[in-house]
Amino acid sequence: MQQLEIHNFLVRYFQANECEITENGPGYLTVQLSIELDKELMNRPFYWHYLEKTGGAPNPMKLTFITNPQIAPENLKGETIHFGSPRLHQIFQSTKKLASYIRLYENHRNNNQQTPLMPWLCMNVKISYQCDRKRDIYKSIGLQLINGQMIEGFHERLQNVQLTPKIPDYSFTLSPLVKPKSGMSRIENYLKAMIEEDNHSWAEDARNRWEQDLQLLHHFYEDAQEENESYETEKKALQDQYEPKINISFINGGLFYLTDTAV
Amino acid sequence: MNVEIEFDSSWQDEFLHRIENDGPWGNWELFKLAVGVEKHLIIPEFEGLQAPKHLPNLTPLPHQLETAKQVIENMNGKAILADEVGLGKTIEAGLILKEYMIRGLVKKVLILVPASLVTQWSYELNSKFFIPAVSQRKSYVWEQCDVVVSSIDTAKRDPHQDIINKLDYDLIIIDEAHKLKNNKTKNYEFVQNLKKKFCLLLTATPIQNRIGEIFNLVSLLKPGHLGSETAFFEKYKRDARSLNDNEHLKELVNKVMIRNRRADTGIEWTKRHVETIPIEFTPQEKELYEAISDLKSEGDWVQTSAFSVMTLQREACSSREAVFYTLKNMHQKKENPTKAFEDQIQYLISKVEAVQSNSKAEKALELIQKINDKVIIFTEYRATQMYLQWYLKQNGISSVPFRGGFKRGKKDWMRELFQKHAQVLIATEAGGEGINLQFCNHIINFDLPWNPMRLEQRIGRIHRLGQEKDVMIYNFAIQNTVEEHILKLLYEKIELFEKVIGDLDDILTKLDFGSIEDHLIDIFGQSCSEGEMRIKMENLTSMIDLAKDMQKEESHAAAGNS
Repeated sequence: MQQLEIHNFLVRYFQANECEITENGPGYLTVQLSIELDKELMNRPFYWHYLEKTGGAPNPMKLTFITNPQIAPENLKGETIHFGSPRLHQIFQSTKKLASYIRLYENHRNNNQQTPLMPWLCMNVKISYQCDRKRDIYKSIGLQLINGQMIEGFHERLQNVQLTPKIPDYSFTLSPLVKPKSGMSRIENYLKAMIEEDNHSWAEDARNRWEQDLQLLHHFYEDAQEENESYETEKKALQDQYEPKINISFINGGLFYLTDTAV
Repeated sequence: MNVEIEFDSSWQDEFLHRIENDGPWGNWELFKLAVGVEKHLIIPEFEGLQAPKHLPNLTPLPHQLETAKQVIENMNGKAILADEVGLGKTIEAGLILKEYMIRGLVKKVLILVPASLVTQWSYELNSKFFIPAVSQRKSYVWEQCDVVVSSIDTAKRDPHQDIINKLDYDLIIIDEAHKLKNNKTKNYEFVQNLKKKFCLLLTATPIQNRIGEIFNLVSLLKPGHLGSETAFFEKYKRDARSLNDNEHLKELVNKVMIRNRRADTGIEWTKRHVETIPIEFTPQEKELYEAISDLKSEGDWVQTSAFSVMTLQREACSSREAVFYTLKNMHQKKENPTKAFEDQIQYLISKVEAVQSNSKAEKALELIQKINDKVIIFTEYRATQMYLQWYLKQNGISSVPFRGGFKRGKKDWMRELFQKHAQVLIATEAGGEGINLQFCNHIINFDLPWNPMRLEQRIGRIHRLGQEKDVMIYNFAIQNTVEEHILKLLYEKIELFEKVIGDLDDILTKLDFGSIEDHLIDIFGQSCSEGEMRIKMENLTSMIDLAKDMQKEESHAAAGNS
């Protein structure tokens, strides 16, 4: 992420959370936190607990972020934010947490005309191949819950669709024939099948490294007569280190009701 | 393919629950941001380093990046980092740790370092690497914090050890790992029992020439890499001198060890200027020194006590306080002292009392005033340290003392005081290790350490990465004393100050003569007379020369073969 991207990300994050951005200059921004976001980010539960008990006037914090120290005004006090800064990662986590589940409707322009909206199940996931090393794959899958059509890159396609949290006038949703629960397992199976197809020499290599180290370990302890505790400990550690695993974890997802021409 | 796939089902359960309850639903803008964030955080390749992108305030040097990459990609995260002093092993370890954390392969980390470095490690990890490392202060820290820095001595104590043994660590980093060379110690056993996926052992002491020690270190890291204990010693101890076998061993060791050298890094190092400052005794000091030297002819009472004449001679070259302290000790420890003994001590004490000034201290004062910048003075003796502090204060110069025995917090505080408020830091030997003072570039060696290897460590405190100026080293030597002779030997015979010790050690490896450190400790710590010392030194010098010749021949031979 470039510094400007980080700046824009912060602006969007705080606006989406209904915080007023009081200053937005080159290389910096100042934001008045809402009560909710103060609780979310500032980690001061005692203050909020105290306020609630005493009924005092809440005073959420105001934060200044410096997103580019080279062009920000000198002597400006604030937190310098860069791609590795813990604050940014905290905000990343918060973003994910606040938007894990969603339901939206297409805000279509079919004026005064009864329009059916198709239910879509969307799942955005991260697939991780892990041994003593790791790599990730991002996937966005959409499943139409009536005819079972599946689309990859679903989230990206949604970028061109007008969406709204409330069902628009003259619209009605079609009931899904595929229940969300079985929809999810269809997507799960699809992802697993896709992973099967992939090249997994990485896992073979990891198993070979594991086997090699196991041999060495075995050799090291072969003089020991009885059952050796450290041998078992080391053996377990090698498993933790090398055993290849694939994890599918969720970024977010939800239900989208779209016209039949939307995606 | 037979790799297990884990599918996170917690998201799905919560999703169904929200469908049932008709929400609550997230905001579209945040939803899009979350996907955007995740796309940025995804690591598409097994290879390569992500960490530098996360560390805008740190510009790692090429050899540090290369080391981090090597350890992760070719050594499976288990390595001995054995760079020469001052090349930034901490940075390398930090990079590796950060990389693993970014990739989500490491969460629970234990960092074991000398007590004096605990605060510095946590500070550097926090400020340079944005890793929330915590110095261990309370026993709940082990379980509650993910990245903990502690000393081994604390960690192995009750109740800590029991807690630590129950935990599974993803990564363990051990600084000054050469201290774990003996597999019979409690510390070794403690480290061996830790549960660890990845492991980094940091050491600046070249260990490749001590076959038993390297076996123990490697076996901590990767048991079996060098075979089982019996097999190893059968194979190598017997033919320790066979170069072919050593080559094979070297190759094996190099699979788990990285050693960068100053010369290989391509960095322009600031220079070392060494200046020997000859100093003359005052008549009273000379009398004291001679009175001590004359003891030899006065019967053998000194030999029977634990102190050698040379100890006293060397102390006389430092300060009258140091002599007095030792005399007092001798007197107290002696059971049923004879009259002659009592007289002898009294006589020497009267000589001590006659000394009214300290030539070296005067010279030091003059030098400090001339330098007009921060200076570190090293002395072997506590008594000298205290005297110097008093003396400098009398002359309006602020100083702080530094000793190995200080608690961690006090060490940090003293370093801070020195950096911000005082002009001089007066350190005793034990203070030399484990503290970085590169904001200072002048060292006065007020007297010489028993083990001259420590000179390198003293210099290493300031001649390291981050030092921007040339380093000035002033060696004080009183003329016509044992001190001057020692210095001459070190200086002329093995050019100790200009060479980095590692080179000498490497040379000696070829001959399997043991480490130069052991030789020097023997020569300067155990010799009873100057004569003995000189002869031993001659022997060492000829060994070194022989090794150098062999090295030359070898490189000729190699060139001839190619």
